[in-house]
Amino acid sequence: MYGFEAMTFNIHGGYLEAIVRGHRSGLLTAADYNNLCQCETLDDIKMHLSATEYGPYLQNEPSPLHTTTIVEKCTLKLVDEYKHMLCQATEPLSTFLEYITYGHMIDNVVLIVTGTLHERDVQELLEKCHPLGMFDSIATLAVAQNMRELYRLVLVDTPLAPYFSECITSEDLDDMNIEIMRNTLYKAYLEDFYRFCQKLGGATAEIMSDLLAFEADRRAVNITINSIGTELTRDDRRKLYSTFGLLYPYGHEELAVCEDIDQVRGVMEKYPPYQPIFSKLSYGESQMLDKAFYEEEVKRLCLSFEQQFHYGVFFAYMRLKEQEIRNLMWISECVAQNQKSRVHDSVVFIF
Amino acid sequence: MEEEIEAQISDLSITKKKTEAEEEDQTLIFLDSVDDYLILIQTLSSTLRQGWLELASARHSMGASRVNTALLSLNHRSAATKLDLHYPHNIDGSITKSPQFNLCKWTSTDDNNSSMEKENIEEDEQLKENINSLESENQESSLESSKGSETVASPHKTENNFQKERAKVLKMFGTLVSPKLRASQLSFETALETLVKVANVRSSILEAHDALVKDTKNLKE
Repeated sequence: MYGFEAMTFNIHGGYLEAIVRGHRSGLLTAADYNNLCQCETLDDIKMHLSATEYGPYLQNEPSPLHTTTIVEKCTLKLVDEYKHMLCQATEPLSTFLEYITYGHMIDNVVLIVTGTLHERDVQELLEKCHPLGMFDSIATLAVAQNMRELYRLVLVDTPLAPYFSECITSEDLDDMNIEIMRNTLYKAYLEDFYRFCQKLGGATAEIMSDLLAFEADRRAVNITINSIGTELTRDDRRKLYSTFGLLYPYGHEELAVCEDIDQVRGVMEKYPPYQPIFSKLSYGESQMLDKAFYEEEVKRLCLSFEQQFHYGVFFAYMRLKEQEIRNLMWISECVAQNQKSRVHDSVVFIF
Repeated sequence: MEEEIEAQISDLSITKKKTEAEEEDQTLIFLDSVDDYLILIQTLSSTLRQGWLELASARHSMGASRVNTALLSLNHRSAATKLDLHYPHNIDGSITKSPQFNLCKWTSTDDNNSSMEKENIEEDEQLKENINSLESENQESSLESSKGSETVASPHKTENNFQKERAKVLKMFGTLVSPKLRASQLSFETALETLVKVANVRSSILEAHDALVKDTKNLKE
C-alpha cells in the first residue's frame, strides 16, 4: 500500500475501475485465438467474432469482408468503451484518459501533413485517421506549409501545443522534417505523461512509471533499428530518445552509435529486463523483435491488474485492446492471403 | 538410272534425317522453354506471396496510419524503373519476330539520375567484358587482380545507388521505416525482375513453337 487510496479511490474512480475490469474479462482468450487461426475465410472470422463482444459491430457488414473493415469495426468498439469511460470520469482521471489518446493525435497530425505533401485529398486522409486521435480543427492542417504555421493555425489550441516548442522551425515540411517532428512530439508527449503520473503519486505513479519507461525504451530501440542505413545522424538520433527509462542515459549513448542489429543486441543484453527478449532472437535477426517486445508489454500490462485503486488499469486496458485488434488484423491478413502457417508469427496471446 | 534413283533416295533419307533431327532439337528447345516458364511462374508466385505478407507484417509493426494507400504520392515524377522492348537481330541481319524485354531499375530522370541508366548499362557491359577476359585469356596474376578489383568495385557502386533510390521511394511512408517494409520492397523488386524474365521466356516459347510447327510442316511435305 502506498497511501490511503483504498479509503478514497472508490469515491470517484470505483465505478470506472469496475467497468474497466469488466471490459478486461471480455478480452479474447487463447481458445478464441485458436478458433480464429483455423478459419478459412474472413466470413468464418466474422462468424467466430459474432459470439464475442465484437458481434454487434460486425453483424451488419456485408460480404465480401476486407481486413480493414474488421479492424475498423473492432476499433469502433474500443472507441465507444473509451468515450463511455471519459464521459463518466472526473479529474484527474479524465485528464489521465485524455493523455492516453495523445499518441493517436500525433499519428493523425503526421498522417494529414504527409498526405497533404503528397497531394492527397483531405477527406480521404481524414477517413484513415484513428478515431481516438481526432480533434475539431484537424482538417485545417492541410493548409500549413511549415511547422510554424502548423502550430499557429491549428495546433496552438490542441493538447499537443506544449510539445511543439522543441520542433518549431520555419523550414518547409518535407519527409525528413516530418519524421523528426513525429518522433520529437512523441518524445515530449511521453515525458509529459510521465511527469503527470509522477504528480499523481501512489500506485498510479509506481505502475505507470514502469509501463511508460518500457515504452520509452522500446521506442529507443525501434528508432535505432529503423535509422540504421538512413541519413539520420547520430546526434539527431540521440535527440529523439526520451529522457527517462531504464536505458537513460548510458544505454542511449551506446544505442546512438549502433550501426547494425547485433550492436543493438550487445547494448540491450547488458540490461537484465531485456535479456530474455533478445535471447529469443538469433544473431542478425530483427523480424521477431516486435513480437518479443509485444509479449513483454502484454505481461507487464496484465500484471497491473493485480493491484487495485490506481489509474494504470485504464492505460493497460486500452493497450491490451489495441494489441487484441493488432492480433485480429494479423490473423485476418494471414487468412485473406492464404498464409495460415505464418499466423503465429505475430499473434500475442493476452491470457 | 538405278544409281541415280538410289542416290536421290539416299539424299532424301539424309534430308529427312536432318529435318527430323532439327525437329527434335526444336522440340527440346520448346520443352526447355516451357519448363523454365513453369519454374519462373512458381518463383514469381512465392515471391509475391512473401512480399504481401511482409507488407502486412510492416503494417502490423508500424501501424495502419503509417502504412496505407493514402500516403502514396500523387506528385508528378519520373518512373523509377523502366521497361525497354526491342527486337533483336538474327545472324543474317533480319529482325526477329519475338521481342526481348529489358528492365532498367532505378533510372528516374530526376536530379542527376539521368546518367544512372547509362551507368547501369555501361557497368554491366564492363562487368561482362571483364568476366569474359578473365575466363578466356587467363592473364597474369597482377593484371587479373587489378581487373578483379574493378569487377568488385562496379557492383558495389551500383548497389549503393540502388540503395539510395530504394530509400528515396520508401520515404513516402516516412524516413524511419521498419526493416520489414524494406524487405517487402525487395521482394516486390525481385518479383518485377522475375516478371520480365517470364515475359522473355514466353517470347522464346512462342518462337520455339513457331519453329517447331514450321519444321513439322516441312517434314510432312
